Amino acid sequence: MEQERKDEILSAIHHCVKCKLCSISSFHPNAEWLPLCPSGQFYGYQAFYAPGRMEIFREILDGEITEPSEGLLKSVYACTLCGACYERCKQITSVELRLPELFEEMRAELVKKGWALDVHKNIAEKIKETRNAYGEKYEYKAKSPDGNADVLYYIGCTARYRVPEIADAMLQIFDKLGIKYRVMNEEWCCGSVLLRTGQVEAAKELMEHNIEEIKRSGAKTVVFTCPGCLMTFEKNYPDMGVELLHSTQFLTRLGGMKVKKQGLEVAYHDPCHLGRDLGIYDEPRAVLSTVADIKKMKREREEAWCCGSGGGVKSAYDEFALWSATERLKEAKEAGAKALVSACPFCKRNLKEAADKEGKGTEVYDIVELVNRSLEG
Amino acid sequence: MTQSLSKFVKELQAIVGEENATDDQAICASYSRDQHWHFVPAKNPAYIVRPANKEEVRRVLTFANNEKIPVIPYSTGINVRGLTIPVHERSILLDLSRMNRIVEINPEMKTATVEPGVTFGMLLEKTKKYKLRPAFPDAPLTASVLANYYLRGIYQTSAVDGHDHTLSYEMVLPNGETIKTGSRSLSEMPYFRYGVGPDFTGVFCAHPGTCGVVTELTAKLYRLYDNRKEYFVGFDDAGTPRKIIYNLMHDELAASIRLVDNQSWLKGICGTFDYPYEKLPKFVLCVLVEGVDGIFEAKDKLVQEYITESGGTVLEFPEEFKRTFEEESLGGAEKSCMVFGLRGNYHCIGLYGPLTLAAKYYEVHEKTALEVGIPQDHIHFYINPIYSFHGQLCYFELDIFYDGGDLGFGEKLRNYNEKQFHRLLDLGIYGWFRPYAGIIGPTADRIGYLADVWKKYLRILDPNEIMNRGKLF
Ligand SMILES: Cc1cc2nc3c(=O)[nH]c(=O)nc-3n(C[C@H](O)[C@H](O)[C@H](O)COP(=O)(O)OP(=O)(O)OC[C@H]3O[C@@H](n4cnc5c(N)ncnc54)[C@H](O)[C@@H]3O)c2cc1C
Ligand code: SF4
Ligand code: SF4
Repeated sequence: MEQERKDEILSAIHHCVKCKLCSISSFHPNAEWLPLCPSGQFYGYQAFYAPGRMEIFREILDGEITEPSEGLLKSVYACTLCGACYERCKQITSVELRLPELFEEMRAELVKKGWALDVHKNIAEKIKETRNAYGEKYEYKAKSPDGNADVLYYIGCTARYRVPEIADAMLQIFDKLGIKYRVMNEEWCCGSVLLRTGQVEAAKELMEHNIEEIKRSGAKTVVFTCPGCLMTFEKNYPDMGVELLHSTQFLTRLGGMKVKKQGLEVAYHDPCHLGRDLGIYDEPRAVLSTVADIKKMKREREEAWCCGSGGGVKSAYDEFALWSATERLKEAKEAGAKALVSACPFCKRNLKEAADKEGKGTEVYDIVELVNRSLEG
Repeated sequence: MTQSLSKFVKELQAIVGEENATDDQAICASYSRDQHWHFVPAKNPAYIVRPANKEEVRRVLTFANNEKIPVIPYSTGINVRGLTIPVHERSILLDLSRMNRIVEINPEMKTATVEPGVTFGMLLEKTKKYKLRPAFPDAPLTASVLANYYLRGIYQTSAVDGHDHTLSYEMVLPNGETIKTGSRSLSEMPYFRYGVGPDFTGVFCAHPGTCGVVTELTAKLYRLYDNRKEYFVGFDDAGTPRKIIYNLMHDELAASIRLVDNQSWLKGICGTFDYPYEKLPKFVLCVLVEGVDGIFEAKDKLVQEYITESGGTVLEFPEEFKRTFEEESLGGAEKSCMVFGLRGNYHCIGLYGPLTLAAKYYEVHEKTALEVGIPQDHIHFYINPIYSFHGQLCYFELDIFYDGGDLGFGEKLRNYNEKQFHRLLDLGIYGWFRPYAGIIGPTADRIGYLADVWKKYLRILDPNEIMNRGKLF
């Protein structure tokens, strides 16, 4: 790492006062103690809270940590990079660097030393082979794409291969609304999983390919159902001169959908990349409120509790990921919701798995599924 | 991947479970530093141990005592004085945060009994339904109630609640014995401070983990009133507000009285950086009045009269500033850490002294800071008067806000401390906020035989010197 960058990071770390206010949501005015950092809450040691993790980074940068101990790897990688800590910190003590980015850089440092997790290295291998994060061989087939359409739907690995009902719903929405769309001839993984796990170099080829394809397509708008992909395009890709929109932004902008409200009582779970990273809080709620009755949970928007699957946690620490999802399901139930609705295939997958395991009957959907259901065809 | 499981860790894991004891370097590194690192350099504990209950604490202490391994009790680690950063090699950091049971809230007795991991936020969540609250320090509400009260602190409502909220506690000693103080020693009722003979509750208090490990503490709770009113009064100097502070304290009229300068703590009290504070008078007196119907109105009337004759200017602040002041005072400090947002870090000397010396303390603070090269705009100050005001007792905080990333500044702060401790002792103080090594050093010579007795008594409790040794003497 360059000295200048190192100094910047150390300066930010020096400014962490260890107040730990980043571990709970705003206390006033309801005076409720609501934890906010899934990793700290699950593992307990200071190493799993933002302030402790920063001290570990300091020792890495100062060359004091010289071995990839089990605790090092766990404390660095068992963080969902949800960014909840930073939302709190910036209101209070103003540690100047975005904490999830700091933790991502910490991972990149580990990778440089050859200390990546095997499971993450395997993902990189799969991507290298198949261009998708799940190592699947088959291609997702869209039924009625139009090669000249202005709108390109970037499906993303998870909606292609693990939660296809989201991709199906989005494509049906396009059809029902009579919107011409296309998908990429060869959609490669956006690189998010590699970037989030510190494998920055490995992401470059994917990014180059996708940029090339999108530019060649002539599309004016790229629509995403995956906030992780959208965030990666927004933050890690260069400006391609196209508009990047989340499905809920796209639908809000379209307006005038003829939908029938289903009367389902739901809670809306803010995906971390969509909310905290991209500031998209209102559009999902606006779309969802046209098809369902929204019940408010205690931790929402900037202070939403993470579903637990981000930052490479689902693949590496599934028990932790599912625990975090179960906590969220409990909160939805407490709010009086019958279903928990998100706007992210990662969230849906993890929340659904936790709900199925629990067997307590909370349904889990993505917004586009409910929209598709309610949309008169 | 490497794994080094020393013999000691295995023994500790046998007591607290495999998941709850480690010597992993990275995990230990996460406890290596707090914001006092310019004075107490980073150092990793050798082991982190997270007991779940008193029996586990007792077994860990007995083991450590036999092996002569230093032990650092740690409740939430928010002490800002390097008090949980090891001095010695091979130290066990005893992270008590898993012990977070609220053992009892007794609204009739107006008490709460808590374990070390219970924070101010957790406690208020449960007491508010009885219209009761703990006394809140300015420390973030993520701090441990037990550790804070055991250390004795300064509180948002010191003007009405005083500064000592501990009734009784239970402390495990290195030899595995348990001391129960106050009425706890005689019965199941832990509600009275002075059980048998001397004030043993007080004797062991305010030790930075140097006697034993407190595993349960019973504290006072205070009433939450519906009637509240806030005032902000501006003054151009630190001397003029003395009269109104005296009057308000003498007549016991306000729940919270704090004289702050316009550039530091006031921002947390108001909850925003975004206000032209520089246009306000240099000092602002923040006053909160509360009480039951009838008494509240009478108090408020008197407060208004005292404000009128105070020589200060009543400041018209937005309603949300008033609400924040109220929430911070009666609902726990969430915004006070904004002071770190001023320049990044914070240094202070906290002391007790009479209000009569207020202007002198401020003067010497400014003088010493400027002498060692600290810029004027880094120098700040506040006063918090304490019930029941005998000896005109106040807490004074001499603050410096600075950028910790500027390593040279650390040298200035150390120079400041070195001069300032002696100057303040020469000027006359009642006592330091809390004892810690840096401040006890220059003070011990001045307290005569008391220092010898103090050391001997610590040796009786802890003959092998395992309890956070180096944090006092
Ligand atoms: C912005 C800010 C403002 C502050 N303002 C105030 C204020 O107004 N008033 C105030 O009182 N404090 C204030 N503080 C100081 C401090 O944070 C608190 O006093 C805090 O309660 C002490 O830290 P802790 O509870 O986390 O204890 P820890 O940091 O865990 O421990 C502190 C010391 O107590 C010992 N200890 C901890 N637990 C035990 C135990 N169970 N048994 C025996 N010894 C133990 C430790 O060994 C250590 O020496 C402030 C701090 C900040 C950051
Ligand atoms: S809120 Fe910020 S300053 Fe406080 S502990 Fe968290 S990261 Fe550090
Ligand atoms: S990013 Fe999320 S999981 Fe990671 S430290 Fe911050 S709050 Fe905790």
